Formats: sequence, structure tokens, C-alpha cells
Amino acid sequence: MGTSMQEKLGVQPRRGLRLSDILVTVLVSLVFGVIYHFWGSVYNLFKPLFFEADELLYGMWFAAATLAYLLIRKPGVAIIAEVAAAHVEVLFGSGWGLTLLLYGLIQGLGAELVFAAFRYRSTSAWTLVIAGAGAAIGSMMMDFYYSYTDDLQTWMFLAKYGMRVISGAVIAGLLMLLLAKALDRTGVTSLLRPASKKDYEALDDARHV
Amino acid sequence: MNIWNPVRITWLHRANPVVKLGLIFALFFMTVLTHDLDFMMYQALVFMVCLVVLSGVKPWKMLLFFIPFLLAFISSSSSMMLFGKGETLWWEWGLFRVSEESFYRGLHLGFKGIAFASEGLLLVTTTSSVDLFYSLMQKLRLAPKYAYSFMASIRLLPMVWEEFVIRRQALKVRGVRPIRGVRNMVNRAGMYVVPLLAQSIRRAHRVAAAMEAKQFNGDQVKARTYYYPSRYSRYDLLVIGLLAAAACCAYVAAGYFPWFGIGDVRFD
Repeated sequence: MGTSMQEKLGVQPRRGLRLSDILVTVLVSLVFGVIYHFWGSVYNLFKPLFFEADELLYGMWFAAATLAYLLIRKPGVAIIAEVAAAHVEVLFGSGWGLTLLLYGLIQGLGAELVFAAFRYRSTSAWTLVIAGAGAAIGSMMMDFYYSYTDDLQTWMFLAKYGMRVISGAVIAGLLMLLLAKALDRTGVTSLLRPASKKDYEALDDARHV
Repeated sequence: MNIWNPVRITWLHRANPVVKLGLIFALFFMTVLTHDLDFMMYQALVFMVCLVVLSGVKPWKMLLFFIPFLLAFISSSSSMMLFGKGETLWWEWGLFRVSEESFYRGLHLGFKGIAFASEGLLLVTTTSSVDLFYSLMQKLRLAPKYAYSFMASIRLLPMVWEEFVIRRQALKVRGVRPIRGVRNMVNRAGMYVVPLLAQSIRRAHRVAAAMEAKQFNGDQVKARTYYYPSRYSRYDLLVIGLLAAAACCAYVAAGYFPWFGIGDVRFD
């Protein structure tokens, strides 16, 4: 349906993001933003288990980026997804305020850089695991400035961020890959694919390289 | 549309959203770069007062929003207090090791969290997202496709909630049993998440096609007009003055009435 509409309007398919790509990314991330909001309470439940156990659930906060990439597979969606998800949380009046937007931006950037390194072509499990870990490292950078985590005792620092990176890799990487496959089976992703297939052919075209 | 339902309209409501955004980010950077415990405490205090006065929200309702502040305070301070680096040891038990330096650093982080949250809420409680995105488009040249996507999806979100309720009822009618065990929990989450996301994608795609047909993406026209024009006014200057004065107040108060007087909280 999407393609025929474009042809009728005379809109040329382009390499960049189209409004439909952005809207799908943003809406999916907004759904994730709502999940994040409730995830906050699950996260707090985990706290008393053992100290910093909540870090094991941290990866959920990077999930919007990887899922959006799996759906759209274009440059920029991972960043937009994380910012959009953070934006909902800010709208709900989260105790963390606008810092969430900055966190969203840098986490999205962490994942985005990994996808860019694979030239937005790979959707293998390894790429996603690395992207999830990349987002975790992004959030770690932000923590240095925000909460002096480099002043934690060394073992604590390693435990905290080790758990976060693993969580990013498992939840944002592998779990989202499973979710994307489940979504593929429902057939909705075929709505998003035609445009992106053309984009990849355009990327492969010798004249453009 | 403002979900916060303010009872009074203050200067902050009247100022241009882009100016407010710039201002709040400036305050953010001030707070991030503050390493002095007294200055940080006064910042938290001053911006909390600003929030109660300037948000125009009923004070008791604002108190409700201080609960997440408390959570943010505890979770950002406790970890640093218990595990931070420090030399003057106060208390040690197993892995926990509270030293003077780590205790004050934790306290600092707690106040920092409150300052951040107050600054953020100053913007959020006084700005509707429609106003924000319209002025971002007009003043900062944000591409319309981004702005309209955000605005449209905020409107679509209640439908996702509706679908969630329908899905829950549908599962109930089909006799799905209560959750037992972790594996069951994951399966159940999938039963909700997959159809909800699939439906969101379908709906977003449909809405986007309609929006593109109506040129909401703004790809073809260079100059366009906007339904809500965004202008600068004298309130922008007033708000800049007011918040700058608030920050100065905090700085001066920290200089004259220090509570802790320990200066920089960072390790060495």
C-alpha cells in the first residue's frame, strides 16, 4: 500500500528517513517508553535482592534502539528511538528529569555507532549483542559526568558495569532479536520493508559509492 | 492540552518553549559542573521552590511529584555512600564501606538528582508538547517530519492503551490462566507485546501515509506556514532574569551560609 501511494504522489524513494519510518520508530519507542515507566517498578523490586542487582535489568532501557533498527534498518533510527522513549518518560514526570533525554541520546548513539560500523546491513545476533553492549557503554560515559562513578571502589565499578553490559547484550540484543522475529511472523514488517530494500540496492549501486 | 492542569498561568507558561529549553539546558550544565556540596544543596532547594511557585500546579499535587524525587535521591546517593572511594573510614561491614568522603559524595549526588528533576519539571509542567514542537520547527528549524511524527504519536498512544485493555479482555475470554513461574511470565509478556507492537506499526504506517499525502513531511515546500505561530516576547527576558537570579541566589547562599563547608566532593 505504501509504495503505490508514493508512486501516485510522485515521491521518489530516498535513502534518508521518510515520515513513515520516523512515525513507526517513534510510536514503537513510545510504547517502549510506557513499558520503561512500568519497568521502573520491576527494577526497584530487584534492588533488595542483592546490591546493584537492578543493573541486570538495565538493558531494557536500550531495547527501543535495537528493536527500531531491526524494524527500519536505516541510519539514525536507533538515536531517534531512544530519544523518543526518553521523551515519554520525561512527559510522565519522571524523577530523573531531562537528564533522561541526554541519556537517551548517548545510549542511542552507542548503539547507532555499532550499526554504522556494520554499515546498517547486519542483523545477526552478534551485531545486536555488540549494539546492546554499545548502548550500555554510552550510558556509562554519561554516568561518569552525572554521578562520578569512577569514584566507586574498583570492584564495585566493574561489577556494576559488567552487569549492565551483559544485560544490554542479552535484553537489548538477543531478546529484541527474538521479538523482531516474532513480529516478522505476524507480517507487519513487510509494510516497512519495500522502501528499505530499495535503499540497500541504491547503496550497492556503483554510481553512488 | 496540558496534562498537568495548572491552576495559575505563570511567566514560565507564557515564555517561548525554545527559550525555556535553552535555559533549562544551561541550568543543567551548571548543575552537572557543580562539585561543591553547599552550592548543590542550595540549588536543589532553590529550584524546588521555583517549581512550586512557577509551575502553577496545586502545591499538594506538586508534593505528589516529590515522591519520585525521593526515590531518585535514595537510589543515586546510596550506592555511592556504601561503595565510594574514601580515606576517613566511618563504618565497615562486609563489602559495605562508608567513609566520610563517600558519604558526602553520596549526599551530593542525591541533591544533584533533586536539582535535575526540579529543573526538568520546570519545563515539563509549563510546556505542552504541541507548543514545544511548533516552536522547535519555527525557531530551530527542526524538520517538520520529526516534529509531526512526535506530535502524532503522542496522540496515538492512548489507542495503544485501549488495545492493551482489549487484549487483556480477549485473553480472559479465552480462559488464559494466571501467571505461574518465570517461563510462563515471559510467554505472557509475549502474548501482549507482539500484537500490541504489530498493531502500533500498522497504525503508524497508515497514519504516516495519510500525513505524507497531506505534505506533513514538508519535503517539497521550502517556505511553509504554521497553524500556531511561535514568537519571542518580553516574558522570555523575564524568565531568563528570574532563573538566573535563582541560580545566583543559590551561589551566594552557598558562599555565606555553608552547611557542610567541605568544598569539592570528588576523590582527590
